[in-house]
Amino acid sequence: MQIKFSKAVFFLLPVGIPLTLFWIIPNLFSLGISFTDWDFMTNDFHFVGLDNYFNLFTQSSFKQALLNTLYFGIGTVIPTIVLGLGFALFFRKNFRGSAIYKLMIFSPWVTPTVAVSIVWSLLYEPKLGVINTVLGLVGIPGLDWLKSSETAMLAVIIVTVWKLVGWTMIFYIGALEKVPDSLYEAASIDGANAWQKFRHVTLPMVSPTTFFLIVVNTIVSLQAYDQIKILTQGGPSGSTRTLLYLFFQQAFEQFDMGYATAIAFIILIITILLSFINKIIGDKWVNY
Amino acid sequence: MSNHKKTPIILKHLFLALSSMLFVFPFIWMILSSFKTSSEVLQGGFWPKEFHWENYQEVLGVIPFHTYIFNSFYTSLIITIYVLISSALFAYMSAFYKFKGKELTFGVVMATYMIPGAVSYVPVYVMLAKMGMLNTHFGYIISLSVSVFGIFYLRQAFLKVGHEIVEAAKIDGASDWKILWKIVFPMTRSSFVTLGLVTFIENYNNYIWPALVLKDNDKKLITNGIADFFINSSLGRDWSHIMVASTIATVPLLLVFLVLQKWFLSGVSDSGIKG
Repeated sequence: MQIKFSKAVFFLLPVGIPLTLFWIIPNLFSLGISFTDWDFMTNDFHFVGLDNYFNLFTQSSFKQALLNTLYFGIGTVIPTIVLGLGFALFFRKNFRGSAIYKLMIFSPWVTPTVAVSIVWSLLYEPKLGVINTVLGLVGIPGLDWLKSSETAMLAVIIVTVWKLVGWTMIFYIGALEKVPDSLYEAASIDGANAWQKFRHVTLPMVSPTTFFLIVVNTIVSLQAYDQIKILTQGGPSGSTRTLLYLFFQQAFEQFDMGYATAIAFIILIITILLSFINKIIGDKWVNY
Repeated sequence: MSNHKKTPIILKHLFLALSSMLFVFPFIWMILSSFKTSSEVLQGGFWPKEFHWENYQEVLGVIPFHTYIFNSFYTSLIITIYVLISSALFAYMSAFYKFKGKELTFGVVMATYMIPGAVSYVPVYVMLAKMGMLNTHFGYIISLSVSVFGIFYLRQAFLKVGHEIVEAAKIDGASDWKILWKIVFPMTRSSFVTLGLVTFIENYNNYIWPALVLKDNDKKLITNGIADFFINSSLGRDWSHIMVASTIATVPLLLVFLVLQKWFLSGVSDSGIKG
């Protein structure tokens, strides 16, 4: 149906006003700030052009954060997708008890990341924490977890995957329910075994969901902050400091606003690049 | 059922029971630890020797977690209601009408979905400071009153309703406001419930932004309250008290989830993605 913009506008304003005030204008301002050396405390600032961006790439803390973000992103997204799909395969058809299992696996998603990260930091205690105690029972030497720069990122990733698996699983269950039984029956008649059915029926049929979940989980992982703040504060020796964490330290601890907003725009550029790559790959192998 | 079919079923249940226990184990450990003495928490036993209910009194006597929880609940509720209404209005226009500039409007809105919140934090922070709205719940609420995800989610639900119904109602002389709330809304109620729950939970669990904007003790949300309690205690941690605080922050949400679980487990994925 056709409507005049002047009539539609009343329905659009309740979103449009706050969106303009709190998203569009601030983002443009942010872009402007990233070309200055503003320190937040004073009104005095100078335009420095692209210096903040060039300086980023000469600083080791930025390069480290970039690599950490990559490690964290891949380390989070792949296990989340694999485990989410793995659990969902059990729940394609309802059976007695399936609702309770789903409920338990999904429950971490509901809870505040800061609160549950505090609980995990107790579990990770090297000397008396539960995790090392259990590892000791099966003869595996305990790790230093959050206290060592070797294992801290792994510990943060485990917490993040634990939170995201249930959410991912629910999307996969929805996708699997829509795969027609006739496809599996046809595959059986052709003599396909369980793996072949998974490889040639299930995987292609859920590929749009996989594509969607990779994009969403990647964006979520680029924005991860709460668990890092509680578990490690970016340490030890910067080993868990991601780009977003570096942004917060620069903006609200160092008050180096130009430098900080430049980092924020790098995160934005990465997000856009990933979406494009995903789109290109998606067009090639996603079956709609 | 023959025996050789029973074994895999038992194995399946064994596997699922064990792995789903792993997912709730931190909650069980948290609740049990909250009743222990501080030294008992670090001794690593499973069941408390004695249930120390007074831990809860002691923590609530020092830190006003009840105020924090109230702040979290009511700010999240207002944000959720506003998001539901405003997203529905926007989604209604974009699903059922064509107008000049629609492509551009919708394109701008969708593009903002990609932008990390962090990009706008500095200017919005400065803006709230200039308007004297730092440390106010009003400033906090209005700065979070848009959900692009919400627009997208409701739009997908509205598209399934179909043009014909809206057009027929239009011919009968119904206003758009009436069509949205009397015809479209009842048909898409489950999407509203799911979006409402997801929005509420995301805001209740939100941490960075409220930590920057709400600094006063009586304005803090539960997430800032518990994070500050934990970080400030880094010298000489009283783990049982910290577990009390975590339990207070977590259990209300787990209860809400238990009561309303079917909306999460069936509705979340039903956002119109083909697959």
